[in-house]
Amino acid sequence: MLELVGIGRRYRVDGGEVRALADIDLVLPKGSFTALVGRSGCGKTTLLRILAGLESPSEGEIRRPAQAGPLRIGVVFQEARLMPWLDVRGNVGFGLHGRLPRHETAARCTAALDLVGLSAFAGAMPGQLSGGMAQRVAIARALVLEPEVLLLDEPFAALDAFTRRAMQNELVGIWQRRKPTVVFVTHDVEEAVLLGERVLEMQAGRIVGRENIELPYPRDPTAPEANRYRRTILARLMADPAAARPEPAALS
Amino acid sequence: MLRPITIAVFAAVIGLWWLAGHLGWVSAFLLPAPATVADTMGDLIASGELARHSLVSLRRVSLGYAFAITLAVPLALLFVLSRPLRATFEPLLEFLRQIPPLALMPLLMLWLGIGETQKIGIIVLSCFFPIFLGVRGGFAAVDRKLIDVGTVCGFARPEIMLRIVLPSALPAIVVGLRIGLGYSWRALVGAELIASSAGLGYMIVDAENLARTDIVLAGILVIGALGLAADLLLRLAIRTLAPWLAGDLEMARA
Repeated sequence: MLELVGIGRRYRVDGGEVRALADIDLVLPKGSFTALVGRSGCGKTTLLRILAGLESPSEGEIRRPAQAGPLRIGVVFQEARLMPWLDVRGNVGFGLHGRLPRHETAARCTAALDLVGLSAFAGAMPGQLSGGMAQRVAIARALVLEPEVLLLDEPFAALDAFTRRAMQNELVGIWQRRKPTVVFVTHDVEEAVLLGERVLEMQAGRIVGRENIELPYPRDPTAPEANRYRRTILARLMADPAAARPEPAALS
Repeated sequence: MLRPITIAVFAAVIGLWWLAGHLGWVSAFLLPAPATVADTMGDLIASGELARHSLVSLRRVSLGYAFAITLAVPLALLFVLSRPLRATFEPLLEFLRQIPPLALMPLLMLWLGIGETQKIGIIVLSCFFPIFLGVRGGFAAVDRKLIDVGTVCGFARPEIMLRIVLPSALPAIVVGLRIGLGYSWRALVGAELIASSAGLGYMIVDAENLARTDIVLAGILVIGALGLAADLLLRLAIRTLAPWLAGDLEMARA
């Protein structure tokens, strides 16, 4: 379990200050799937970066039970961010290299490649992959770490609709099998409803609404119940006048 | 690597060259026939003179190039790591970069004499900047997003440097090395033309003074061939050591 208490983040921009996040109080139960949804610039990526340890909060803290060992976190970014000088297998094992016995790294990479359906491409170079394949490599790279927390920042935004749907299903399958705590950032309400056990709505650096999606997996995004959730969330996100103000460039 | 079209182009140029002499477009003194040059080349090889001059030139280039690398790479790294250093010395270096090394020849001759030191000095000056800028540019252009990947994997700074930053910077470094090699070869022959007692440049000037245009041409051909061979060797080394860079190399045809 992770608990965020009073998390805020300020940036200094041209002498002034911009608030990217404010008063984020949030509990992420172990094994839960949380979708963060909001328009670009609402602070959702900043929140994810803070969870990933890529940025420090200006105020507040992240609490977790005093258990042993550091938290294993896997992150998938919007772009695949593969190392162009490594082949697919090398990229998948990137975070394990030198940390595990070689045969164990190899075994985990093989399993992860299997999971994302890229076993046949283990020797391919990133330049030879399509966008969807590259993103699957990035997911495998996060999964080999056997993360307790899996953070995804609009991982499928750049993919075509068909690939995106397939990858969404794969992600749900992986989550159900391994049960990491997932935080999934997206600006797509449909995607949030399709994936999240719980959808948090963000606006201007704050969590302004939450909705528990009481639908069984695998979900059908076109089902009437799913549409009801979409309509509710979308209506709330569109209604807030605060959201209409221009976003500072520093936030995204 | 040697495609038929390449061979055809070279053959055509030689054919044209031969034709120009054969039809009397130019006198045999101004442009000796290919056969004459080939004969001369054979003589130069047989007498060992060509090998001697070539070795002198190659030795100078190797020493100067190696020296330039040992100078430019650490200095560039210091620049990468220290912003104050960059801010202080960048304008000076930009100024120095504008000066063609050959323009410094008179001063270098006064300071270093006309021996090996001066030749090597010219080479160092001529290939310092391509290598320096290659290393600097390579590190400056590293994608922060790739560094994030290392950070979330829990890498410490040295590991990020070694496993992300360095490989990212390598293409630009390699391009700088390749351009530097070309510059150094050209600058050397220039330096040998002006003040020297051995080397391919000297061989050419000496032949000019003796009105032996055939030797001049033979020397020019050898200079081109050796430069090309050095470049091919460097590319081969990179292709073997870092095959993923093969594409980046083609940008370096400067």
